[in-house]
Amino acid sequence: MDRKQCCVKLSVQPSRGLMDEKFIVLVQNALPGSQLTIRALHQCEDGHSWEAFGHYTADTTGTINVSEDPSIRGTYSGVEQMGLLWSLRPIPGSKPGLRMRKKNIQTPMEVTISVYQGHQTEGFADLVPLSGVVVERWYMAPGVRRIPVTEGGLTATLFLPSGPGPFPGLLDLWGGGGQLVEYRAALLASHGFASMAIDYLTSKFTMETGKMVDNQYFETAYRVLQQHPQVCGSKIAMIGLSFGTSMTLKMAIYSEVIKLSAAVCISGSHVQPVEGSVEEIMGFFQKNAGKTRFNEKNEAIWRDLLLPIPTDPSLKADVGRLQCPLLLVVGEDDQNWPAQESALDIKEMMARAGNSHLLTVLSYPNAGHLIEPPYTPHARSSTFKTVEIQEKVMCLWGGQTVEHSRAQEDAWKKILVFLRENLYGGRNPTSFSHL
Amino acid sequence: MFLLSRKTIMFRAHMSVTRIWQLIEKRMMSCISVHGKLPGLQRAVGEVRRKSSFRQSPLLTATPVRALIDEQISIKGRFLSQNYPVTVCAQMHSEEGDLWEAFAHYTTNASGSINLTSDHSVGGSYVGCEPMGLFWALEPALGSREGLSLRKRNVETPYMVNISLLEGHTSPSEGQRTELAAVTTERWYMVPGVRRIEIRQNNIVGTLFLPPGPGPFPAMLDLWGEGGGLFEYRSALFASRGFASLSVAYMGHKDLPGPPHIMSVGDSYFKSAFQLLQDHCQVDADRIGVIGLSFGVVLTFRIATRSGFKPSCLICINGAVGSPLLDEDGKIKMSESDQKYWELDDRGYVSFKNVSLPDNLPPESKQKVENITCPLMCIVGEDDLCAASTENADLIEEALRSAGKSHQFTRLSYPGAGHLIEPPYTPCARASLWRAKPEKLFALWGGHPAPHAAAQEDAWKRILEFMETHLRR
Repeated sequence: MDRKQCCVKLSVQPSRGLMDEKFIVLVQNALPGSQLTIRALHQCEDGHSWEAFGHYTADTTGTINVSEDPSIRGTYSGVEQMGLLWSLRPIPGSKPGLRMRKKNIQTPMEVTISVYQGHQTEGFADLVPLSGVVVERWYMAPGVRRIPVTEGGLTATLFLPSGPGPFPGLLDLWGGGGQLVEYRAALLASHGFASMAIDYLTSKFTMETGKMVDNQYFETAYRVLQQHPQVCGSKIAMIGLSFGTSMTLKMAIYSEVIKLSAAVCISGSHVQPVEGSVEEIMGFFQKNAGKTRFNEKNEAIWRDLLLPIPTDPSLKADVGRLQCPLLLVVGEDDQNWPAQESALDIKEMMARAGNSHLLTVLSYPNAGHLIEPPYTPHARSSTFKTVEIQEKVMCLWGGQTVEHSRAQEDAWKKILVFLRENLYGGRNPTSFSHL
Repeated sequence: MFLLSRKTIMFRAHMSVTRIWQLIEKRMMSCISVHGKLPGLQRAVGEVRRKSSFRQSPLLTATPVRALIDEQISIKGRFLSQNYPVTVCAQMHSEEGDLWEAFAHYTTNASGSINLTSDHSVGGSYVGCEPMGLFWALEPALGSREGLSLRKRNVETPYMVNISLLEGHTSPSEGQRTELAAVTTERWYMVPGVRRIEIRQNNIVGTLFLPPGPGPFPAMLDLWGEGGGLFEYRSALFASRGFASLSVAYMGHKDLPGPPHIMSVGDSYFKSAFQLLQDHCQVDADRIGVIGLSFGVVLTFRIATRSGFKPSCLICINGAVGSPLLDEDGKIKMSESDQKYWELDDRGYVSFKNVSLPDNLPPESKQKVENITCPLMCIVGEDDLCAASTENADLIEEALRSAGKSHQFTRLSYPGAGHLIEPPYTPCARASLWRAKPEKLFALWGGHPAPHAAAQEDAWKRILEFMETHLRR
């Protein structure tokens, strides 16, 4: 082996970053003009291995800077500073339908980044890299506190930013799969929002009684957040994805108790039986289950369940009554919910009602349903189990990886600006920390 | 009047209850319930305090928030009032539980911001433009025990340093301060993937740190001073920068033979340590250097000239060419035998400097530095009160010049710097507890905070560059 090539130096800065932070991957001391492969490897909590790689050529100084130099081919191509993360995919031979979601957000995601001689595409496990480093990606900034919440029968987790506060609050809802999903709330707390992730479909109450929670459950969550001594009770927002959007709109419009300063609705719809309980809304979707389609890979497409968008006002949350700013995030290739059609209808309804100044729509061509925090690997489809179906289905989410990843990055930046504007008030920060 | 909680919220003396209710009526504080419960009032007062001074919640950021000890952290405050006095304060607890603090006074600019990378402190623990001043100027809090120093034992966990932004020009010891914002930073000695391996074989007592990756890696043998014990943090940092590094203890360690205040191991011990590195499958046997601080310098010269090994480079920090304590085999004959050269100051703190003045060193103890065959970097703190570093560096320089080896010699000399030139952005101890028994003795290291900090920062950079040049290329 060439002596010089032994001394190839690989560095990633920062080696410990937040999940939404960019890093700089630098190769130095390589032979000028040499062909090298940079590869990322991650083993997720359930033991599956994910990898991404790019093919590079060292320049005349023997350097490769991933944020400036193009990958010729690989799981990503072109100049992609974060390609090694967002293009991660299960290694060949893995079980189909995997999706990367971290459950324990108190420990970091560990990614091993290595550089190999030549342009390699497979068999990395049998090759010896020239150099390798380990990078940690954290959901929680130092000092962020994680507090399980069981008050009032809630199954929730509160994340408090470090510092004296008081902080604006955020209620964080996920979709039909249920569970207590904490990672987005943890990240938002790292950005200064007291965020409460809520399990509203598989809460302790539901698991023990078999009954779905009622509207009061959300109002209790709101109250608990509002009354926390480190939360500014007059500045609380709600963020929901997928079915979480349905709940968010419901609470924002109809609740006497919940007074939101802002709402963020990702990949969802306003179509729902007005004044329906959680159970009734779920039932409404179930009724239309017959409209499920399957593509050639036998992946379930659920976007038609709510189409066509009804004209009957009793079947749509009355967005004309909204009194707080609303940010809609839409993937135009969403195969799971008709988010784009809903967004158009919402726009019309609000224009007619005269409150469209409250509406902002972010619409992303070729982005799918799962618009997650940035650099989360894109899953075009994955196995999914909703609380009502009880059996796993291969669900088509949609989206093309490159555009979907760009959408995640852009949407997150804009969500943070939107929340800052409406919850912290005053001017926009000119450059928000590391984004 | 309303001291609501020790932690943060303070009530301005001039803010009357009437005024608060006026503000409630103006709906500025919608979070108070009709019955004015105390928690609600607390929140309201906090809000009013903020609203009366600022348009928006102040924000304090530190980037990167998880950093290596030798990395610069960029601290910024935003959304404050314009041209406003603020204090930035750093606080942390050492492993022994002592509180260390530093603070600095700044004035926000016309945009209501401060940036410690470019702004000047006008008072506090440091003055001037010092991006990392909050870290190197840390001092034990008022009322702490004497002679404390900050030296991390467990290098696998970070120091948690809390940085806060306070209203006005104040200090940590002043009771009433309004905290506007805070951020917690982590400062690490190890990057992810560095492997820490305890070595207790071939009679060696040490810790080996390996960088992440397959290797083979260039390596360093890391030697500390006569205080004894096993200090891992420099080796941990070397491994974080891509060099395998072995720290060894040679006295004052429970796993070593003999009483703790005597060095019972000799030349063969250090030979074994060097051999261990050479034999390690992930170490490049032809690229091993040695670094020594204080007494470690003599040991470094013994390895370079008597062991039969040929290190690729040597780094010597604040040491001497010989010691009256060493016998022929490189073991310590007896300890503290040269008390005649000790100098005590008016507090009874001792300077060992004169012990190592070349004229006071027994001639047979002086190592033949002219026989070294590799590049040597000599680092000198000109205010070193523990070793006659400058005088010894002069001697070394002359010896190498006479042997026609000046091209192998690099000297870094730092005015105002003391004995313990350590990795950067850590506090300088001008004196610390040397030993507790038979009675307490404090040793003087010398050095003044600001020049010592500058020396540590510059020396570390040069050390790493020197290692890159002679061990990697």
